Amino acid sequence: MKIQKLFRKTLFGVFFLFGVIGVSTSVLCIYTVDTHLSEEYESNSKDIAKTIADASVDILLNRNLTALQSLIDQFVEIQGISYIYITSETGEFLAHTFVPGIPEEIRTGDTTSMVTVERSLPGMGDFVEVASPILAGVAGAVHIGSDTGLIALKVQRAIGQQIYLISIIFVVGILAAIWLVGQAARPVDGVLAFAVKLAQEREADGRGNEKLLARNDEAGELARLFLHFSQVMDRDKADGLSQPGGKE
Amino acid sequence: MTDSEIVLGTSAAFSGPSRGLGIELFRGASAYFEHVNRNGGVRGRRIVLRTYDDGYQPDPSVQNTMTLMLEDEVFALFGYVGTPTVTRVLPMLKKFQERQVYLFFPFTGAQPQREPPYGPFAFNLRASYRQETAGLVQNFVGIGRKRIAVFYQADAYGRSGWAGVRRALRPFGERIVGEATYGRGSKFTGIMRDQVEILKASRPDAVICIGAYAACAAFLRDAVDLGLRVPIANVSFVGSENLLNLITQRRDDGERYTELLVNSQVVPSYHDVGIPAVQQYQELMARYDPQPPQELLREDYTPFSHSFVSLEGFLNAKLMVEILDRLGDKPDRSALEGAVFSIRDFDLGIGELVSFGPERRQGLQKVYYTVVDEGRFVPLDSWENRFG
Repeated sequence: MKIQKLFRKTLFGVFFLFGVIGVSTSVLCIYTVDTHLSEEYESNSKDIAKTIADASVDILLNRNLTALQSLIDQFVEIQGISYIYITSETGEFLAHTFVPGIPEEIRTGDTTSMVTVERSLPGMGDFVEVASPILAGVAGAVHIGSDTGLIALKVQRAIGQQIYLISIIFVVGILAAIWLVGQAARPVDGVLAFAVKLAQEREADGRGNEKLLARNDEAGELARLFLHFSQVMDRDKADGLSQPGGKE
Repeated sequence: MTDSEIVLGTSAAFSGPSRGLGIELFRGASAYFEHVNRNGGVRGRRIVLRTYDDGYQPDPSVQNTMTLMLEDEVFALFGYVGTPTVTRVLPMLKKFQERQVYLFFPFTGAQPQREPPYGPFAFNLRASYRQETAGLVQNFVGIGRKRIAVFYQADAYGRSGWAGVRRALRPFGERIVGEATYGRGSKFTGIMRDQVEILKASRPDAVICIGAYAACAAFLRDAVDLGLRVPIANVSFVGSENLLNLITQRRDDGERYTELLVNSQVVPSYHDVGIPAVQQYQELMARYDPQPPQELLREDYTPFSHSFVSLEGFLNAKLMVEILDRLGDKPDRSALEGAVFSIRDFDLGIGELVSFGPERRQGLQKVYYTVVDEGRFVPLDSWENRFG
């Protein structure tokens, strides 16, 4: 299908528009998924930290660290939670899930802080760490680290799905655009051929182009106009008005 | 329970890296139960052990317990293995307390089944990890080794031992100088170099390990290879013979790895035939040659002729039979607690008398210390001479 130069710009415009739509929706998708997932993870982690903190009070007061460890071992099985540690009111580590040991950054950090922090632990990955006080902090605190790598993985998966969908829409859209532009270009091709024919024939009468001349769109009107001009020119030629040096 | 049978339920590790513990405990108990069954059972009833494999994992252990309690309707639970498993099962016993299904003699020295709120649902025979670690700490500190580090399994079992060491050090004004962990289910082929390096950095005088044999043998191997030349102690749960087997197999220099090894035990040496129960244990193990439950075996395992773990299983079974006998001709679960509390100064045949009561849910208190000499564990005579 030959596409007229006139329509190539339109086609490029369609390409460009699709590109803008694809990129902008992907960026929006990344932002939305990342923000929502991060907020959800942080919120869930805080809820879990609070649940453990509430459940830990009796256990801590009874000094039953075995039961405390058993409790956090159950929570660390939840997807996304990478580590949990419980500190006493003095900052001593009472139970944790680290292997092969408590990371230096955490061991030497401020374990009494309740502020959400982002940590990058060597050999472990990147985490968002939330904390919840036990008995308003007088019995210690529960700290939970969520793997941000998992959030990134989910964002990547969401973007992948988005790009897959946009790619399909893009390909289908482009094929449709080419077909439509081709459809639109066909009458113009006809008018062009008709105009060339009119220029070449001595007495144009439109025979053989009835279909084109019968169209009620711009192509039909243009064809009829060309025919009219041609007939006028033929008539003028016959009247000698269009002779070289002749006057109108 | 029927007129001809008393069914006890067991969930233990018969697969995975800690399967040796479940298998040996089962074999020791089976030797004594077999002996009783061949001699008429308990007041005419055979003792049947219904066994399930939990692979030393909490979730299967809970599932198995549900099956044993609700479907199999066993008379009592007996001979469970492990702290992470038992600590998850205890709440179930409380939940179904109206059924009065008690847990007898689990192979763990952790505190939760010895204290409220779950203590009333379990009876223990062995000494606790608290007692084992206290003994190790006191003896190390006694010979001037005050800087104690801990290598432990990252779960309830490891924490139980860690807490015991921490507690035992406090009266001496000391703290744990270093700690390193490993994940439950680690194999001997696993590398423990990171853990060794962490502990080396703390410059310990001794290391106490709270783990299972595969991981502890790997740690011992890497510690010696990396030059951590301090006494390395294990508690009874480790499975001493399994550990020794792993660390010395296919090695001519096995002694290099065991010369600074010391393991605490909760039963006396199975070599000491001067102890009546040990003599009986050796005799019945030889006579019946108990095999692990074949339907649960998924991996190769070569049983030991004798081991501390199977001796413990044997003693557990012996006391269980005594309790069942005290229930009379019409055993009833509601009378079980009373039957246990009637055990006062009972002679199991190991030189230490067993007593139970409402405030005493653990029968034995004694801890023994063993070292490796000529390729086997023997009682430690002098801490000063060996490690001073």
